[in-house]
Amino acid sequence: MSLLGGCGITARFEPYKQTDAVIAEGEHVVVLARKQHSTHEAEEDFVQCISDGLADGKNGLAVHSSKEFEDKMYPWFEPSTAPLSTEDLTLLLERPGVAEQVRNTGVRYVVWVDGSTDRVASGGGITCAAGVGGAGCMGLAWWEDDSRYDATVWDIKDVESEGTIHGDVKGRSVMPAVIIPIPLVTRPQAHACRGLTDQLRQFLTSPEGYPTAGPAPEVG
Amino acid sequence: MSPRPLVRSRLRVLAVLGGTCLAGCGGSQVIVEATFPRPLIEPLPVSMGVIIPDELYNFIYTEDIPDQSLWTIALGDANVAMLEPLFEGMFRETRDVESLARAAGDPSLDGIIETRLDKFEFDVPTGERDEFVEVWLQYQITVYEPNGATVIQWPVSGYGKSELLRDPEDAVQRAAIVAMREAGATISTKFSEQPQVRVWLGGIANGASVTVGPQAAVGEPAAAELAPAPLD
Repeated sequence: MSLLGGCGITARFEPYKQTDAVIAEGEHVVVLARKQHSTHEAEEDFVQCISDGLADGKNGLAVHSSKEFEDKMYPWFEPSTAPLSTEDLTLLLERPGVAEQVRNTGVRYVVWVDGSTDRVASGGGITCAAGVGGAGCMGLAWWEDDSRYDATVWDIKDVESEGTIHGDVKGRSVMPAVIIPIPLVTRPQAHACRGLTDQLRQFLTSPEGYPTAGPAPEVG
Repeated sequence: MSPRPLVRSRLRVLAVLGGTCLAGCGGSQVIVEATFPRPLIEPLPVSMGVIIPDELYNFIYTEDIPDQSLWTIALGDANVAMLEPLFEGMFRETRDVESLARAAGDPSLDGIIETRLDKFEFDVPTGERDEFVEVWLQYQITVYEPNGATVIQWPVSGYGKSELLRDPEDAVQRAAIVAMREAGATISTKFSEQPQVRVWLGGIANGASVTVGPQAAVGEPAAAELAPAPLD
């Protein structure tokens, strides 16, 4: 039981919404990764996970494919050209054909995902040996992953930032070995995806007021 | 623009990759394949001849990395797939031309644009903490007047990185595509801002052929381009 206690997830989500805008019928949302950083970049799978999550279910939102959006808007949403602020977005929309193309996509909200999942700590060790009588392992290994992401929502129609949701999910995994190794793995990135998706859905559909506490800590 | 004989190119690539395999299978082979969008920009009011040299069309990069493997990366088809829609979007009219000599004096052309891939570098991480495959490449864009005079030689670089998941070859391909898209974005958004290009366009608008000074022809830092540096 003490081993299980050492394995778990802690999650914190902090939404901040500064307008009461909500997504309307026929309006689309697109989820894009911020790619300007040299040291990190939101993983493609993570961005896809949020896109799929927002579109899922009977109350699914109309989500535009990220790749298709970047292609239709090429070259204006590449790492070196993507608008970094709503002022940049204003200038971009003034370029010939750009505002019309955005309208054609039906996209009103852009969700910029920034962050990454990193291994922040690890330790312990497992030793394995084999002999005439058999083989086996002994020991304990553990590692901790941290998924930190920001999802910033822009309203392209009104050219303003709607707010940001910050998510920080830490997951500690352990692998005890008594003859055979037993991995007890937590997946903070998957948890961060679910949490951010839930928060984004609330953000885009509720004018104001939604629970600020993230999903409860869980044992992996 | 007329379609390129992609099948012939692909056979060449396969022949090279086959040769690499015969020389010692186990290397890493990547054929970069992608479709590239036409840029969403206002085309310049010029008619351009487009030269895609054989070296660009058949570009294959090989590098034997110590403690890794022999890498063979074929970029030829992707070069064509990127440049054709790019130039079609940038100029009012484009036409393939075989060479500068053949296009010289063609009264229907305002200029000729030639692209070469000068540099290609890539890095596949080996350390446990490194997560990204990186690709850096540099094209050399040369614009000529119909009389053969050089308007500008413009180096344009692109950088791409891609998360290394299970398959390094796939990650190299994705990073190369990002780098090519970046280069295409720079070409399409910065071309008309180059001083020599402005002078040349001004001359065309005024109905006169303007020969830009020789400094433009020998690699003056034409690009006010803030491109990433090559990989270390």
